[in-house]
Amino acid sequence: MSEFVEQCRREWRRLGVADPLAEEMAADLASDLEAAEAEGVSAADYLGGSASDPRSFAASWASERGVIPAPPGRENGRRTPRALVAFTALAAITVIVAALLLATGEPKVALETRTAPPHLPLPSARPSVPAGTGHRVQASAASPVEWILLFVALAALGFSAWLWLRWRSSRSPIGSPGGRSLS
Amino acid sequence: MLDLCLLAVMDEGQAYGYEMTKRLRERGLATVGEGSIYPLLGRLEREGLVETYRAASRGGPPRKYYSPSSAGRVALALGVSEWRAARDAIDAVLASVKVEVAS
Repeated sequence: MSEFVEQCRREWRRLGVADPLAEEMAADLASDLEAAEAEGVSAADYLGGSASDPRSFAASWASERGVIPAPPGRENGRRTPRALVAFTALAAITVIVAALLLATGEPKVALETRTAPPHLPLPSARPSVPAGTGHRVQASAASPVEWILLFVALAALGFSAWLWLRWRSSRSPIGSPGGRSLS
Repeated sequence: MLDLCLLAVMDEGQAYGYEMTKRLRERGLATVGEGSIYPLLGRLEREGLVETYRAASRGGPPRKYYSPSSAGRVALALGVSEWRAARDAIDAVLASVKVEVAS
């Protein structure tokens, strides 16, 4: 029957159970089998149908005890992609900021024209400014930039929504590890 | 229900795997073999319903002893209560059945 224990140990190793845990379980099983045999109960009688299928027995025990490590791919699939979260947040913030800028009309660009001193010639680009006067012109010169920003951010938000949908659909279904209740 | 029975027999006194099987068989649960208690004990341990410790046996390898944790005792009490309620309800339904055995 030590062969049964040895097969269990091999199965636990194959499943990735940590060596100390596998050794502990093997020792528990060996001591129980020894106690049974000491009382005249054969290992086959004690284990019943499991005696002929050590791999299933070992896998079931390890699974219920929760000592089989999850495959790394599945773990990564479950984890929320941080880069996507950051991208979505950035796009959302940009949309909000652009919308606020458009709604408030700030910042406005102040254009100030001044009359040039008499000894300096006026630039030819401003011939219409009357000499000796000056005034400020307020214009929301940033608006085109804000509109572009808003559209780009909305596109980014849509793209991130598409990425989220792809990420959700690529996740493999996750089974809960053996949870029967006591009821 | 077998996990409830395991909690019940280890509540009588700490026990190792084979000892629990014996206690169950003494009460008529002879079908407990099949090595089925090990996965159940593993789950009870994972869920924190049992406490374990190792102690040397007489001339043999050290054994792992189980006893219910405080959460395990609560689960046992709740489980027994639910079981009795279910049993009473089923008894009430079946009480009106007249069993006639053809000879």
